[in-house]
Amino acid sequence: MLNLRDKGAQLWEDWNRPKRVAFALIMIFGVFLLPYAGDFSFTSILNTPIASYQAILVYPVGMYILMALGLNIVVGKSGLLDLGYVAFFAIGAYTAAILGTKTTLNIWEILPMGMGFAMLAGVLLGIPTLRLRGDYLAIVTLGFGEIVRIAVLNTNSIGGPNGIPGVPNPPSILGQSFDLANPAHFFWIVVVMILFVIWMVRRLSIRRPGRAWEAIRQDEDVAILMGVPTLRYKIWSFSIGAAVGGAAGVIFASQQMLVAPQTFTFNVSVLILSCVVFGGMGNIWGVVLGATILSYFPERIRFISSARQLVFGLALIITMNLRPDGLLPRKKREHLSLEEREAAKAAKAALKQAKKLNSGASK
Amino acid sequence: MNFSVVQSQFFPLLINGLALGFIYVLISVGYTMVYGVLRLINFANSEIFMLGTFATIIVSRTVFKFDINSQPSHGMKLLIVLLCCLLAAMLTSGVVAVLVELVAYRRLRSRGTNRLGSLISAIGTSIVLSEGVRLLTHSLPESSPRVLSKFYIFTIHGVGLRIDQFLVIISGALFFFAVDRFVKLTRIGKAIRAVSMSEENSRLMGINLNRVISITFLVGGLVTGAAAFLYETVYETTVFNVGFNLGIAAFTAAVLGGIGNLRGAFYGGLTLGLAEEFFSAVLGTQWKEVTVFVVLVLVLLVRPNGLFGEAIQQSRV
Amino acid sequence: MNLTTKRTLGVVAAAALALGSVVATSAQAAPKSVTLVFQNAVTGPNAGLGADELLGAQTALYEYNQSKPAVQIKLVMADDVSDAATASSVAAGIAGNAAVIGVVGSCCSTATKASFPAYKSGHLTIVSPSATNPSLTDPKQPKSNGFPFFHRVVPTDAFQGLALARLAVKGVTAPKVFYVDDQSTYGVGLKDTTAAALVKAGVTISGKDSVPAGTADYSSTASKVISSKANVVVYFGYYAGAAAFKKAIDLAGFKGTYASGDGTLDGGFITQAGKSDAEGTLITAPTVPFELAASAAVLADFTKATGVASPSGHAYVTETYDSINVFIQCIKEGHYTRSSIQNCVQNETFTSIKGSKFSFTRYGDVSGGAPVGAFTIKNGEISYLGNA
Repeated sequence: MLNLRDKGAQLWEDWNRPKRVAFALIMIFGVFLLPYAGDFSFTSILNTPIASYQAILVYPVGMYILMALGLNIVVGKSGLLDLGYVAFFAIGAYTAAILGTKTTLNIWEILPMGMGFAMLAGVLLGIPTLRLRGDYLAIVTLGFGEIVRIAVLNTNSIGGPNGIPGVPNPPSILGQSFDLANPAHFFWIVVVMILFVIWMVRRLSIRRPGRAWEAIRQDEDVAILMGVPTLRYKIWSFSIGAAVGGAAGVIFASQQMLVAPQTFTFNVSVLILSCVVFGGMGNIWGVVLGATILSYFPERIRFISSARQLVFGLALIITMNLRPDGLLPRKKREHLSLEEREAAKAAKAALKQAKKLNSGASK
Repeated sequence: MNFSVVQSQFFPLLINGLALGFIYVLISVGYTMVYGVLRLINFANSEIFMLGTFATIIVSRTVFKFDINSQPSHGMKLLIVLLCCLLAAMLTSGVVAVLVELVAYRRLRSRGTNRLGSLISAIGTSIVLSEGVRLLTHSLPESSPRVLSKFYIFTIHGVGLRIDQFLVIISGALFFFAVDRFVKLTRIGKAIRAVSMSEENSRLMGINLNRVISITFLVGGLVTGAAAFLYETVYETTVFNVGFNLGIAAFTAAVLGGIGNLRGAFYGGLTLGLAEEFFSAVLGTQWKEVTVFVVLVLVLLVRPNGLFGEAIQQSRV
Repeated sequence: MNLTTKRTLGVVAAAALALGSVVATSAQAAPKSVTLVFQNAVTGPNAGLGADELLGAQTALYEYNQSKPAVQIKLVMADDVSDAATASSVAAGIAGNAAVIGVVGSCCSTATKASFPAYKSGHLTIVSPSATNPSLTDPKQPKSNGFPFFHRVVPTDAFQGLALARLAVKGVTAPKVFYVDDQSTYGVGLKDTTAAALVKAGVTISGKDSVPAGTADYSSTASKVISSKANVVVYFGYYAGAAAFKKAIDLAGFKGTYASGDGTLDGGFITQAGKSDAEGTLITAPTVPFELAASAAVLADFTKATGVASPSGHAYVTETYDSINVFIQCIKEGHYTRSSIQNCVQNETFTSIKGSKFSFTRYGDVSGGAPVGAFTIKNGEISYLGNA
């Protein structure tokens, strides 16, 4: 099968800096134009039937990409299986709803608070539970996700099953107002947040935390022996992931203007995890691709109505069977340095030479 | 907080908790056996259970012409009906489990480098099965005819033991004992334990990995099917997503006991059944899951590998 | 400017005028077809409700099509998964689709509420068959509601709560009530109004519990009922939960009154609980189940339209049938645009399946709040007791 990831990576490696910057800018510009793609004849195939295409770009597409990137820090980078990621999304959304309706704070002021509360929840959950290994962590996080949902469902002062209506829209930026009539503006904000998270993850990956996460993911015992403070880095990964989920929740609440407990079910956690694994764990572009497809696809096939979840399930099975490591899996080794690449080239040449000699000797 | 319930209703709560607990035990066995050999949560196990409940209902309705209003059966006929329903549920669940392994796990196991890939294909399988049943049943709940008259075997001071609960507790224990012996003593059981100890080594020892894994799914499915039959005998209702909550609960039970360990599934299931019953009585049913998960976290803090945190291969029974 | 040019200009102007008037008349003339949207839970946890309501919609449309109308009605299904987030983007899409002139739905209050902002900005009329939460038409908060575009054919839980509180303790000496809700928006909403009415009437509340819909094991709740020595048990939720709970308390030895709201008024309650356990259950409902409300001819239409033998077991068929018929009547009267449909729905009087007349208040409720009926299960059949 054609290895798209390696082809793309090779192309990127071969380019010089101006070329890379130009390419990135063009791509970002294209993404910013996406909300208008539905209006042109040749791109109108992107239009979603029934649901509004521009609204779909914000939720689920944009939100799922953002959350998948956040979960990727936890699952893909440091190898911690989190089945309750929706909890952080819910905490962000409810922070926005409660503070937005009961105080005069605006959404931009609430955004850091929502992230802060989500991080705090991440740390509080992480300290006792991140000592656990593998699937023990999975079930505890699953439980945490359910606890958050059940707690808001049973608390009448925050609306119980009715949720909280009337969450305010964010105040305008540069004269661009954020309201129901302008989903494109929300989309742009989400894209900015996605770009920021991508930038952050890429910076972290090649620094100390990234290396520590990689070590933990590959073999935690060895990481401990090598002197990596694993618990601290695991809590970091957990709470950074949580902050991204919380940020997504705040924007979500202010765009929807209503939060209700039934949005924050275990299914969302499962779906976000599916986005990460389906796209290619640990690889940012894979995760973005996976989240885009898995959030957009069920909306695009709305015309088959009641069987669309069935088709979605089939698509998951078939794709995972064809590409067990996801659509764009991570490279076995990330970020080879220039010397390493030279060395690999030399080794390859030497191997060729040796084979030639060998075949000559046997003659 | 309502402790008077526990005082006045202690015995009924205990019996209900045990009956629920034994159903959890059997479903947990399905999770724990698969986990033992694959190190993976079998997300489709809840759908394997769901299909077992439907098989029970279909057989009692179509083969034996029971409906919701028919009189319960007696004597020899009762025995035949119950056995046929049990067999139907076990076979359905067993076959489906083997198929799930073929579709969701086999190809990925030989090719994938990360095990989460099969987790996602299992989730896909689970979606396909439950959505398929949802479309076929128009999302309606289906009730199970009462084949077994629910009389009390004995009552003392107004509290008693009901026949269906008695049946669940006895047959739950028997099924568990049978699986335990099977894994412990038979040749194929030893192979299962070998695979769960080390896949590589057991392959080197000449064990046919695919066959052992298939059989593990089969046994897990059979036991889950038995759980589905017993569930229908006690609760008499099912719906396309019946497995969802039960699956989470049973998986929690497996982890509570120590996943991958059969005895862990046993004690975990019983603990969870009793805890759910008593916590809902005291704190209100809406907080049931919350309390269960809090208990789970507390247990894992003290014993990070669950109550009986050894893997399947090390259990010394 | 010479004469010829002047004349030519005049002709062009006349032609333009004529063309303009043709365009104008064709806008008022009957179009070939109009589009209604059926927004409901087609997938997800409430898909059962959505599927049930679809049956009512199909029946009403089938009857309309049988009359060989000049204007065809296209019914587009919009799946909101009964989730607020999905409902909001679906509603935005529907409101932006100029072909759509009306919406029937959604099943559930929260999804309906989440759709309001989009429909209000699109000036699109909604008629809901089953969103009963009182806050949806609360005159005190028209801003966060669908005012003036939202309407519902089903009375709010506020009316039913009063009736249910009366019916449940009627004829019981020294009533002690234990009540259980299913944690759905519907169940909790009805519980709140009923419990308030019970407390106001001075009835002893001996206990309460909340059991999420979809639970099968009601045994610990049943133990609580027995331990609280209650003689009246009220369940707030849908029929599947009501049946499972009734079976559990019967097994635990409960002998008193069992009462529930319209979510239980469904043949499915009897097939789930069985005749003997369902017997004697008291139920309040602002409307009647389809199989009781519909004439033989309509029942035959139901089977022909849906391919389903009996409406028994399917919830809110009556209400959806009535909701679609609100739009059908307006379309028959020649209203083909959003604004004229809104005028029609807001101001005219409609006929329900039972033959009674109804219209909508300023805030979208059925005016006068339809009388709440009392029902019981007798010999395995739903039977009508009169007004509750």
